Amino acid sequence: MPNQNGNVYGLTILSPIINAPAGDVSHDCAIRDYLASLPRDHHSPFAKISSTHLARLVVMDDVVFVGTPAREEHLKSKYLVFETNFDGDLDAYLASMARDAPDEVHAVWQHCVGYPGTQDPAAFAAYMKKCQLETTFFFADVNDKTVQQTLRALKVQAGVAHFIESNQGKSPAEIQAAFRQFLDKVRHAPEPLAGEYERTHVPARGQGAVVRTQPLAGEHEGQPNG
Amino acid sequence: MVNLNVADIQGFVLRGYNFPFARYLLLELAGPETGRDFIGQIIPHITTGQRWDSKPRSTVNIAFTHKGLSRLGLPDATLLSFPVEFFQGMKARKEILCDTGRNACENWDEVWREQTVHVWLGVHGLTPSALDERCAVMEQIMQQTAGARLLQAQDANAIFIDNKPCNKEHFGFSDGFGNPDFEGVDRHSQPGQGKLTKEGNWVPLATGEFVLGYPDEAGELPVAPVPHLLANNGSFMVYRKLHENVASFRAYLDELSRHYAGGREKLAAKFVGRWRDGTPIELSPDAPDPALTADPNRNVNFTFGRDLDGVRCPIGAHIRRVNPRDAFGFYGQLVNRRRISRRGLPYGDYVPDGEPVSDTDDRGVIFMVINASIFRQFEFVHQQWIEYGNDAHQGSDKDALLGNHDGHGRFFIQGTTDPQNPPLVCSRLPQFVELRGGDYFFMPSLTALRLIADNSVDPR
Amino acid sequence: MTNINGKTYAMNAITPMNAFYTPILKLIFFILGHVKPLQADLINLSFIHFARWVVVKRHKFPRLSEKQPEEHLHYDYLLFFSNFNGTWNQYIDAFADVLSNGLNLIWRWSAKFPGSRPVTAFKRYIALVQFDTDYYYVAYPRATANDVKAAHRVNAALEDFARNSKDMTPADFGSAYLKFVTQVQADLGATGIGPVGT
Repeated sequence: MPNQNGNVYGLTILSPIINAPAGDVSHDCAIRDYLASLPRDHHSPFAKISSTHLARLVVMDDVVFVGTPAREEHLKSKYLVFETNFDGDLDAYLASMARDAPDEVHAVWQHCVGYPGTQDPAAFAAYMKKCQLETTFFFADVNDKTVQQTLRALKVQAGVAHFIESNQGKSPAEIQAAFRQFLDKVRHAPEPLAGEYERTHVPARGQGAVVRTQPLAGEHEGQPNG
Repeated sequence: MVNLNVADIQGFVLRGYNFPFARYLLLELAGPETGRDFIGQIIPHITTGQRWDSKPRSTVNIAFTHKGLSRLGLPDATLLSFPVEFFQGMKARKEILCDTGRNACENWDEVWREQTVHVWLGVHGLTPSALDERCAVMEQIMQQTAGARLLQAQDANAIFIDNKPCNKEHFGFSDGFGNPDFEGVDRHSQPGQGKLTKEGNWVPLATGEFVLGYPDEAGELPVAPVPHLLANNGSFMVYRKLHENVASFRAYLDELSRHYAGGREKLAAKFVGRWRDGTPIELSPDAPDPALTADPNRNVNFTFGRDLDGVRCPIGAHIRRVNPRDAFGFYGQLVNRRRISRRGLPYGDYVPDGEPVSDTDDRGVIFMVINASIFRQFEFVHQQWIEYGNDAHQGSDKDALLGNHDGHGRFFIQGTTDPQNPPLVCSRLPQFVELRGGDYFFMPSLTALRLIADNSVDPR
Repeated sequence: MTNINGKTYAMNAITPMNAFYTPILKLIFFILGHVKPLQADLINLSFIHFARWVVVKRHKFPRLSEKQPEEHLHYDYLLFFSNFNGTWNQYIDAFADVLSNGLNLIWRWSAKFPGSRPVTAFKRYIALVQFDTDYYYVAYPRATANDVKAAHRVNAALEDFARNSKDMTPADFGSAYLKFVTQVQADLGATGIGPVGT
């Protein structure tokens, strides 16, 4: 099933954009304007559609003329491309779009032909499936870990590095005690935020100012590290 | 077999000369006519790539920044055909190079910070007097033609130990191994300097990686300015003055080696990938091996394919970062277009280990790179492999010795359960090396120099 | 620069294909999808999170209403979407250096494709057929594919170590801890800000 690779689904949607030359709204420009203002970090609507690993939206104006002897031709409509890579099931994902980010979905897709709104999730899902293209070949480097598993693992990785660094040279008994505390913190860490640009201990663009060290999973500012 | 036109290529493009004394004259050109006049007078002095029957007492080579070429009155179409990084100059590339913080141009020498260098005139001498004599001749030509004025003379010289020149730099590491071997160059080729074949043999790299006008590793003539005649047999040079904080380095080694069972020297070796005498730790992980180091057939002849976990040579060690060899798989192919040919000499007074030394003393290395594409070779290695670590699977970690850490860096030394080779985290890495200036230069062929001097560059 | 989010670049490309060739390309993709070792090189290059190719037959552009004009096209189209780490130049250089046969196999059916080597003509072609991303979301923007894989390894190692060392004496714990450190020591690079252009 080429849309799927392991536990990851590669959805490709091509939604024709409304072309109303007589109207005073250029729908493709409106989409672009809206997308330019949409946050891309953990405030992104895709953070709310939380099974999303990576997703993009692209207004495709036309096909490309590659030069003679290839023929010149043009699309009669512009298309909104939606390429997304998410965990699990297509129906669950489309339902999540309509339920968890209805405003943003509406703001984008209202400019597309045949969009029925998000109030009726079944109609929305049917509409999206009509726009779906079958992915011919889908490559996934990691295809068996969810978004949450990945975010947690990244926090754990940082935490382990920090733990090893902080406990270097200590006695086995000390390390063992510290390790128990560390594990406790890891196990009780809150869900990491999808889409977040974590603070790191690399100063931004050489400012040289002291920046706090990378937080352990679940650590709050000011607490000593385990 | 490539036939290099060695009479037309400047010698410095093909080899580093190995002279113990150098003076890099940084010049400003007066104007197009007097500037061309100056170049016309310099041409007979330029050392070419031809073989020497007997070593000359001094050598001269010349290279230009984009502003220098512009001052000489080259046609706009030619000036625009140079690569964008050369046009911009090194100062403007600071975001890409991470030349920020302690490496920012606010901290550079005045000549690089405030002034505009047009010409690099590299004079090398076997003795200080040979050097002075040659420089006096250069000075004379400058005055006679009124074509150029000296902005600064940067002296550099090999470190002398027991009255003999050696190949060490101020941190105590022996340097200058592993310059790439490429086709057509008349040199004793050492196994390990070129590129790897599928069968694991070493062969020379394509000439076009280092000299314009010859096929490169991508199977084409490298991107070059127009016309061909201006570009062919020329190359691009990067010049960087690297200040070394020797006190910080020694203090850091002292402090950290208290936690490291392998000892201070091994720790230093793990940073670089060679013991301080030059022995590659990949081949000799437990102790330096002078016989190995002295043997040209062995001292660069190694790969990392059997040390992928980094327990002999750490994954983030300096020489492994800048030349990963086969560490990325694909029998080393991903590295072939990222090789750089290095030149340079230390500057400043040498203080042996154990004697008092200060970070504020003026000492370091004048570091130069010869490559066909500054963007694809030097800038890539610096940006992606020194100031970053993703290709080596080391995340955002920087090169321990050269990285722009400013007190925040981290370096993992991989180890084993053997108590003499334990894992170690080096944290809060200080800034060991600081940039004090530099720029990007074009080193034309002799033909190109004549074209420039005669004002007959035609871009078509 | 909206093509990039954190350390990942979203590349989109569309190339025209003579419809006669489309079944051949589909067969090639079918084989690629089912003969896993052929994907080994992509996995070893290790700088792509996800990538996909989508063949759009000329009559199959979605049409949602009678009012929407029907497309009358001569060519089928090959869409390509990649989510990769590193700069644009680095990405294309790497492919041209080590996977040029694979690239040729996929794109030789596209009109005016110049071949993936030498790389300069190939880069010109890509620049022509690439179109820019308007909005790009990445759930883990500061992590590359390498970082993600390393993190999963570290996490698994930590769980094993935690489970095995639960009731150990300090001395035994000390040895087990050392072993654990040697297991994860190559996978602890910091995630953080990447270089400009990546």
